[in-house]
Amino acid sequence: MTITILNALIAVVGGVVGAVVLYWILNKLTELLPSKPQELIKPYVFILPAFAALGFYLVYPFFQTVIYSFANRNSTEWVGFDNYTALLGSPGFQTTLINTFLWILIVPTFAIIFGLIIATLADRLRPTGEKISKTLIFLPLAISAVGAVAIWRLVYNAVPANQSQTGVLNAVWTLFGGDPVNWWQISDGKLNSFLLMVILIWTQAGFAMVLLSAAIKGVPTDTLEAARIDGAGEGKIFFSIVIPQIRATMLTVFITVLIGVLKTFDVVYVATNGNFGTNIIALNFYQALFVSRNAGQAAAIVVILMLVIVPFLIYQIRQFRAEEAAR
Amino acid sequence: MRIKSRQGRAIGALLTAGLVTVLTAGCLQQSGDNGGSSASGGADDGTVTIMYGFTDSSSDQFKAEIKKFTDAEGINVKFEPTPDFNTVISTRVSGNSAPDIAIFPQPGIMKSFKDQLTPLTDIVDKSNLDKMVPGIVQAGQIDGQQYALPMSLNIKSIVFYPKGPFEQAGYTAPATLADLETLTNTIKASGTAPWCFGIESASATGWPATDWIENLLLIQSGPEVYNQWVSHEIPFNDPKVVAAADTMNKLLLTEGNVNGGRQSIASNNFATAANPMFNTPPACYMYRQGNFVARDGGFPDTVLSNLDSTVGVFPMPGQTAADKPVLGGGDLASVFNNTENVKKVMNYMASADFGKDWAKANGFISPRTDFDKSNYPNELTKQMAGFAYDSTSFVFDGSDQMPGEVGSGSFWREMTAWISGSEDEKTALDNIQASWPAS
Repeated sequence: MTITILNALIAVVGGVVGAVVLYWILNKLTELLPSKPQELIKPYVFILPAFAALGFYLVYPFFQTVIYSFANRNSTEWVGFDNYTALLGSPGFQTTLINTFLWILIVPTFAIIFGLIIATLADRLRPTGEKISKTLIFLPLAISAVGAVAIWRLVYNAVPANQSQTGVLNAVWTLFGGDPVNWWQISDGKLNSFLLMVILIWTQAGFAMVLLSAAIKGVPTDTLEAARIDGAGEGKIFFSIVIPQIRATMLTVFITVLIGVLKTFDVVYVATNGNFGTNIIALNFYQALFVSRNAGQAAAIVVILMLVIVPFLIYQIRQFRAEEAAR
Repeated sequence: MRIKSRQGRAIGALLTAGLVTVLTAGCLQQSGDNGGSSASGGADDGTVTIMYGFTDSSSDQFKAEIKKFTDAEGINVKFEPTPDFNTVISTRVSGNSAPDIAIFPQPGIMKSFKDQLTPLTDIVDKSNLDKMVPGIVQAGQIDGQQYALPMSLNIKSIVFYPKGPFEQAGYTAPATLADLETLTNTIKASGTAPWCFGIESASATGWPATDWIENLLLIQSGPEVYNQWVSHEIPFNDPKVVAAADTMNKLLLTEGNVNGGRQSIASNNFATAANPMFNTPPACYMYRQGNFVARDGGFPDTVLSNLDSTVGVFPMPGQTAADKPVLGGGDLASVFNNTENVKKVMNYMASADFGKDWAKANGFISPRTDFDKSNYPNELTKQMAGFAYDSTSFVFDGSDQMPGEVGSGSFWREMTAWISGSEDEKTALDNIQASWPAS
């Protein structure tokens, strides 16, 4: 134990001191140059370590992944587009793609809707009430996804009819004379996927609420007063005055939650492990790499995931630039 | 230069990406020779590192059992238990920091490290292996060479029943598979579901169903066909396997045969599925599962405290009364780095002395047929161990030997889909066949 702590200390101190020394040496080296080229080179020298780290840990693995996606399961031989055709041709992966699209559309949308409703309503409470209600709504964000599923298992659980029901939903359902329903097994109309999305929305709504609440408070009160004087109702004010002014925040929240959703794996892994047609892309990747031990196919899934994310990233950056330009 | 058109920038980016791709394109791994795993640090200082996949009390018992020997011998042992064994071991091996000894729960995973493992020919005395249940020794072989040593045994073809009510109702243990079907129908006619069944096991949901298919295939078609099926010499959806699935369908999935009905199976946890068996009156009478459900976390505590008076067992019967095939599994110890100390520890694990205290704590069944049965804490365990020691053939759990995408992927998944009713039997078996990796 003491050794572990000592190691951690050495790593922290060594890392910080090392970085300082490195920059100091780099600085000294550039100062040896005459002043004209020095000015020119210095920024690059300072950006180099960060750039190198990004290159080694992000850019290089990115290209390596793309390359592996064209190789076989042990990355020893080229197979061309086989991994992609096999994936896109399998009904399992098609379900995964459809589910993933549903997840990225529904979860961020509902997280924002709920976040917005809560933020607006909490805004009208007295300060203590607002603080308490917002803290409560924010709490689920602090729970890990695995913990959240464990909690929601107590809601969705199903037990044979002759035993007492441990799931809230079935306890209520059987109270009204129904037979226990295995909620997580019902794939009709993607019901089970939606039930799993509820879990993630539950954790993400708090995040959306915090940002949106700040944005709502930032709406200038004179615009609201002007609207009131002109005789606008509360609904009209909300949709025509408040929403347009917090549009940028809503977009940021949407994209942030969306990227989180694309990386979501734990909710489905713990709940159904992708059974009953609930698989999503990050879990599918895990299964390809760690269950099937097929590196080629796993890499291909990641590349597809990347292709799905990129348009959203570009859109967000564009939007961000437009905001900056408008300012 | 500074002001570029959008197309210009896009072309530039594409060119850069293409260039990097071409430059790194030669970077596929060299096949085969990853070598060097014997060069890891553990080999020099005499410390033996052991990695394994069981945790909690099993881990403590295992440690105590090993320490008894190593403390006396003056060997330093480092234990590395991990609940996520399969993932961790593959990262460690590819990272060239494999443990000295790894205890694999699945021969399939063990076999994928053939190139990195040291054969046990010169490590473990053959006399030790000869004393073990034959089928499990074979599970540790690759192409006839011994790569893994069976450390413990579990027996999966056991049917548990609630002793009192079962005997009061006049039911008797069936001698043949046909008798089992008759018994199933008799119990059903009495108005109670004959079977308890549940295959939910979090992210491993589905595996208890694979044991059923394996068990029935073994009973109906024999160990040769079973092993051909496991090694994919016959297709996964061979007519003989279809026959096994049909029998399973008849025994379990017929309306009224399972407590809670077919829909409850996929959400009913395997460890607790048998608990309604101990209600008064029982909600079901039979549960086919491994010996491990009669331990902590399985049967209710009240049952565990009077195991011998409340629980009865019979082995899954063969086609004839003389036929006693047994499906089982076990933990297999393999060596990555061979040293003198590793050799000592391996031979100790192979000896009849290993596991005495662990067995007394109701956590261990020895693969050695000459293990002193008085170490088992109750009659039930003695009986169950006896099934394995007296078996006419013992085969290792098939899904644990198949490639990962089948054995812990499609086989689990498709069984779950079939049982929950979202696929029919033929589609499920055909899908598993289609998922078998090409090479």
